[in-house]
Amino acid sequence: MTWDIGTVILLIMAGLTRASILFIVAAGLTLVFGVLRVINMAHGSLYMIGAFVAASVIQGVGGAGSFWLALVAAPLAVGLVGAVIEFGVLRRIYQAEHVVQLLATYALILIFDDLVKMIWGAEYKSVSAPAALAGSLSIGGRPFPVYNLFVIAWALILAAALWLLIYRTGLGRLIRAAVEDSEMLEALGVNIPRIFSSVFIIGAFLAGLGGVLVAPLGSIGLGMDVSILIEAFVVAVIGGLGSFPGALLGAGIIGMMFSFGITIAPRMAMAFVFLAMVIVLIIRPWGLFGEPER
Amino acid sequence: MAGGSNSVWRSGWLWAGLAVVGLALYPQFVSRYYIVLSTEVVILALLATSYNLIFGYGGMVSFGHAAFFGLGAYAMAILTKHYGNPMLVGLLAAPVIAAAFAFVIGWFCMRTIRLYFALLSLAFAQLLYVIVFQWYEFTGGSDGIQGVPRPEILASHASNYYFALAVTILCMLVMWFIVNSPFGWSLRAIRENTQRSQFLGINDRFYKVIAFTIAGAFAGVAGGLYALFQKWADPELLFWTTSANPVLMSILGGMFNFVGPSVGAVAFVALREIIKVRTDYWPLVLGLVLLTLVLVLPGGIVGFVAEKARYLRSATKGGTQAP
Repeated sequence: MTWDIGTVILLIMAGLTRASILFIVAAGLTLVFGVLRVINMAHGSLYMIGAFVAASVIQGVGGAGSFWLALVAAPLAVGLVGAVIEFGVLRRIYQAEHVVQLLATYALILIFDDLVKMIWGAEYKSVSAPAALAGSLSIGGRPFPVYNLFVIAWALILAAALWLLIYRTGLGRLIRAAVEDSEMLEALGVNIPRIFSSVFIIGAFLAGLGGVLVAPLGSIGLGMDVSILIEAFVVAVIGGLGSFPGALLGAGIIGMMFSFGITIAPRMAMAFVFLAMVIVLIIRPWGLFGEPER
Repeated sequence: MAGGSNSVWRSGWLWAGLAVVGLALYPQFVSRYYIVLSTEVVILALLATSYNLIFGYGGMVSFGHAAFFGLGAYAMAILTKHYGNPMLVGLLAAPVIAAAFAFVIGWFCMRTIRLYFALLSLAFAQLLYVIVFQWYEFTGGSDGIQGVPRPEILASHASNYYFALAVTILCMLVMWFIVNSPFGWSLRAIRENTQRSQFLGINDRFYKVIAFTIAGAFAGVAGGLYALFQKWADPELLFWTTSANPVLMSILGGMFNFVGPSVGAVAFVALREIIKVRTDYWPLVLGLVLLTLVLVLPGGIVGFVAEKARYLRSATKGGTQAP
């Protein structure tokens, strides 16, 4: 491989694509942790469900508009699943110890994995990008798929939207207050369970959105839940659990480590990712942008 | 907690003795299938009990215990198959290597508490998993190491079972003495109230690192036995889903009881075998059981039985108040 400027730009763009998906998924994970103080191990399962729903919609409906329909329908469907989880499971264990929460959401991974296998089967599925986003653009003299640019744009729009939601809306104000001191907020007469539900549904929605967006980028299959969970987890932990800027930075770092790492030392890339996480956790256990556990 | 009044202590030994006799005689009456299964149960019981040293007694939630199990298995596999050492060398090296890693990892992990401790232990275990997975020349990569040699004396299934049982009982005894030693009680004191134990002059971080190392060593023994028994070692043994199993068994059987995790191991394997002949969806059932357990029965099976027994005893004594 020759290291001209075109190659470097291409690797950066590939890294940004990966980072975009990671940010969208990790943002949901980190939002849920920030408010509910629960690490949702089933977050990757929600992402996988999003991808499978998207595949069904695209293949079932067919035609030019099917991808756009999936882009709306799948995150909503996953948000609904999230509502069921919050209502049926999490609501009972907010006061429990971390290990109970981790085990309960781990149980959900096992359950969803088999449910997806029952509904969609164990075969891999693939969908193609919508016609409007098919082709590729020339970047630095090399072709780069338009769809990847679309994914990067989505991540940027989403980052802006999340910022607006958190800092410019009433719900956002309540969310920030709940992160600070949910007990005090409840004492002031705010309906905390409703905020927790809303936050968890938003988190699930984000996982579903990540699932739809990733669908045309690769194959959809069982096992994508665990791999994205681990990666999103690394991103969120490096950035600091509960921090959006942290998730953005963490996604950037990990995205680049993947795209450059796989080119330079394919076998070491994943080890470097975990090494980065271990080092960050040792030096700053609460992550680059996080706050020490209270 | 285990221990308590003198009579309970003595009857505890009586029950333990009966259990050992039962476990020793039992293979004479069952088919090979059950002997093979029991060997696995015995090894998993050792793994779960080693985990409970830090989980139940130390109050530390590690999500990386599979790393030490896997390291023990690879130590056995590599030393015997690639370097031609006798089995006993592998079995002695397994805990030493696992303990060395556990000491270093534990030392770093103790810088953090609670959730972050769980995350860091998981991260370290995943790091080791990836290294084992990728280091093809040394570990065989994703293929693992097949054909771990067994000495002639362990050729039959029954001899395998007896060997695993003997090693496990020996380890259990050592662990029993550890948890009932001043060290074990200090560990409980740290779990219950870290600040107060610090005032008493207990170096809590040092104690926890030592407990983590001891737990890692016994997990290494379990891993070594496992490699010997299965005749292979593969990266899956270090994967985080494997780490979840001892947590699950401890919760299933009850983490506040010395034998709880062993009961959990029996229940886990029994459930798995019952489900697997009927359906392909064992993970689904496991997930539902686990979910029910954490939502309804946080004390585990042993905790549940012990609580019911306490109620019954207080009722027969005519006590009006349950403890």
